[in-house]
Amino acid sequence: MAAPRELIPEHELVSESDVKKLVKEYNIPLEKFPKIVASDVQVQKLGAKPGQLVRIKRRDPTGNYVYYRYVVQG
Amino acid sequence: MQAEGIDHIKFTTISPDTIRKLSVAKLIVPDTYNEDGYPIDGGLVDQRLGVIDPGLKCKTCGGRAKTCPGHFGHIELVRPVIHPEFAKTIYLLLQSTCSTCHRLLLTESQIKDIGAVVKTFVTTEEETEPTTVDITTLTSTISEQDSRMLLVKKLKSVKKCPHCEAVQPKLKLERPTFFYVNGNKIKPDEIRDWLSKIPDNDLRLYGIDPTATRPEWFVLTTLLVPPVNVRPSITLESGERSEDDLTHKLVDIMRINQRLEQDIDAGAPQIIIDDLWELLQYQVTTYFNNETPGIPVARHRSTRPLKTLAQRLKGKEGRLRYNLSGKRVNFSARTVISSDASLTIDQVGIPKRIAENLTIPVYVTLWNIDDARKYLESKEYPSVINVILPGGIRKRVTDVTREELLKELKPGHILERQMIDGDLALFNRQPTLHRISIMAHTVKVLPGRTMRLHVSVAYPYNADFDGDEMNLHVPQSLEAQAESRYLMQPRDQILSPRDGRPIMFIEADELIGSYELTKEGKYFTKDDACRMLAAVGVYELPKPGKGGMYSGRSIFSMILPKGLNLEAKGSDGKVVIKDGELIEGVIDEKLVGMAGGALILKMFEDYGAKTTRDFLLNITKLALMATAAMGMTVSVKDYYNPDSLNVERAKIADEVARKAESILESYKQGKLERLPGYTRKETLELLVMAQLEEARRIAEAALKKNVTVENMAYLVAKTRARGNILNFVQISMLLGQQSIRGRRPSRGYAGRVLPYFRRNDKSPGAKGFIRSSFFDGLLPKEFYMHAMGSRDSAMTKSLVTAVGGYLQRRLINAMQDFYVSKDLSVRDASGALVQTLYGGDGVDPTKEKMAQEQKAK
Repeated sequence: MAAPRELIPEHELVSESDVKKLVKEYNIPLEKFPKIVASDVQVQKLGAKPGQLVRIKRRDPTGNYVYYRYVVQG
Repeated sequence: MQAEGIDHIKFTTISPDTIRKLSVAKLIVPDTYNEDGYPIDGGLVDQRLGVIDPGLKCKTCGGRAKTCPGHFGHIELVRPVIHPEFAKTIYLLLQSTCSTCHRLLLTESQIKDIGAVVKTFVTTEEETEPTTVDITTLTSTISEQDSRMLLVKKLKSVKKCPHCEAVQPKLKLERPTFFYVNGNKIKPDEIRDWLSKIPDNDLRLYGIDPTATRPEWFVLTTLLVPPVNVRPSITLESGERSEDDLTHKLVDIMRINQRLEQDIDAGAPQIIIDDLWELLQYQVTTYFNNETPGIPVARHRSTRPLKTLAQRLKGKEGRLRYNLSGKRVNFSARTVISSDASLTIDQVGIPKRIAENLTIPVYVTLWNIDDARKYLESKEYPSVINVILPGGIRKRVTDVTREELLKELKPGHILERQMIDGDLALFNRQPTLHRISIMAHTVKVLPGRTMRLHVSVAYPYNADFDGDEMNLHVPQSLEAQAESRYLMQPRDQILSPRDGRPIMFIEADELIGSYELTKEGKYFTKDDACRMLAAVGVYELPKPGKGGMYSGRSIFSMILPKGLNLEAKGSDGKVVIKDGELIEGVIDEKLVGMAGGALILKMFEDYGAKTTRDFLLNITKLALMATAAMGMTVSVKDYYNPDSLNVERAKIADEVARKAESILESYKQGKLERLPGYTRKETLELLVMAQLEEARRIAEAALKKNVTVENMAYLVAKTRARGNILNFVQISMLLGQQSIRGRRPSRGYAGRVLPYFRRNDKSPGAKGFIRSSFFDGLLPKEFYMHAMGSRDSAMTKSLVTAVGGYLQRRLINAMQDFYVSKDLSVRDASGALVQTLYGGDGVDPTKEKMAQEQKAK
């Protein structure tokens, strides 16, 4: 059973130029970002491939929160 | 030679040749000492392996017991045996290689396909890690590495060798070390043979580096024997020697090894040799791990299981968790704790005997040398125990050496001085669940044998004074002292990192005292007012009220800082403080207690840590004076009901029971409506239970109507100083419904809980409804019901704490090296990102107020 839409935070693919910026901003190689498996439903929906970065925009009573996950095989 | 730094560490298996090179002695005698108590040459405590007896000299390095590090020896095994920890790897290798030509069961083209990947895998060490990783190579490595493992696993189903066309046999591993080919046992020497024929290049495909490890080494032909220092024998009081378990095990191995050799030489029948061989395998297996599944445990003569290599390392009592992760420390103390209302929350009372034993380093400089000299001159209490000279030589100060050390004293020396008032020490209570379980207190040396602390810091430590013990650690380095002083003092920890509310507040006697002191219409004589204020060190009086009396509120106001303004909600209504004057309202739990502590919070925010710390001390003293003045006491009288209330109580119980019976009646008649998701029976239980639990609520209301705040038992519960209303209700009204796992008691005898009841009696009394009160006493059947409920809650409680504690331990272990980096992201020790913003919102609850003010600006 899929979760209701409003419970899933927005996922989007990070552009390659943004990836470079983020790697520089956080000063870590890509694989040190939190990971997400390629078989994840949201990743599949985006068509993201292993090696790409997914941006997750969360929203809660304290505000907005941007999170990144590095897509890995699985 | 000193290494300049570690570039990398590589773990490999050890080869028989390496073992022989490492070894200083080939051991041949399966024994330790001869009749004269002298080590046998070639035995297990051969003097070439090092010495542990003080008088002897090591035959390898010439060192004595203290200087000789010990040397390895070896045993030549007459027949090879499988290394039990490698059995699985061997199995994998056998399955995926040809039984005839010993090549990997892959065609050349298949090998070529994966060869490239493996090459990079083996050689990555030499390449420096790229700062930005090429996405394509990284992912391809991961995926192909995975598929390679899958491939090797699939090889066991290959029927025919692609190289020599040989039909592959069926292999089986019988744990721990027995291999079968087509159902026939194969011996370790055959396996060794097979493994040794696997070509180097095929090994690379497994990720095995053949220059470092050859698979035939997984089958042992020589056994490395650790030095005696690793397995020291102990001499018992009787003068008898007792050998280490490892030595015992090695004796066993050698004994079997020797017998095997003799039998082979004598040309004994194959069966006998095979039996001995298997026995040798067993001894070696248990030598490595005496808890190997599938084989019996090797035991000592006293039937105690032997502690062999794996057991030394494994588990809570193993080398890693017991000796490496956990170590004992110096400069620490431990005793029973007790309370002291005259200490601030920042202080800790230390028994003189402890203060005399603990030392603080004084780094002698040009500026403190006169002070340092005074300590060194002193022959009694605050004196110097050791002097550490430049170069680290530690000299004990005695009456003999003192004069000389005084003459030598100059900047650069370090004096180890006894602990005195004002020193900082870390105070800790276990379990150390959060950061406030260790705080830095200022030492106050006191008579007595217990360590003393202010009651308000007992809560963050989760301590009480029924025999709790706590630990004290003295930070030695200046860095540690600075860290303690600026980050770890209780006054800086008043706000909880959980919700930003105070976790140091007043409780119990002080809380009720504060309530009494500040309640409406409370007045004190001049005498009393002076006494109370003098106790907190205030030597002036507030403005007198009517009739020359002093209101409690005006007395309380004397310990408030001038200029403090607060409007807050108390339990009994509004509380107003204007310019440090309590105008209206009662200072209760919501102001200074667990339920909010609005006043403490406000004071911390507006006046800072020190003012709040002093306030906590003052309110404690003042409130205790107030409690003493009111003569606060609870007596049996407080629980005594007037006849009218007893009548009402009986009515309540009757009424509730009647209602429950009527639900039961409608169930019996089949009229009871089923609740969604429940059966009829469950519905009945649910409704009846709810009905019977009503009893306490109604009884509470009736009780409240009957008591006044004159009733101390009630007052104490109402102000949340001690106990709760439910306790009161159960003492003087009725116990109410007992429950087991949230249900009415239901098990015991056939169809009933106790033999007094009829079968299938579902009436309130038969199912744990107790009409009696603790005051009146319980009927036997009620007593049993109550005991059942108590047992249930005791079990649940201990289970919940155990489960919760373990869960927390796992979380702490997983997160212990996370930190908030300066860009507010959370990282682990490797620098990898955990959260882009701490907590998703970057909030530190203890600094929320500050953050908001900043934003407003």
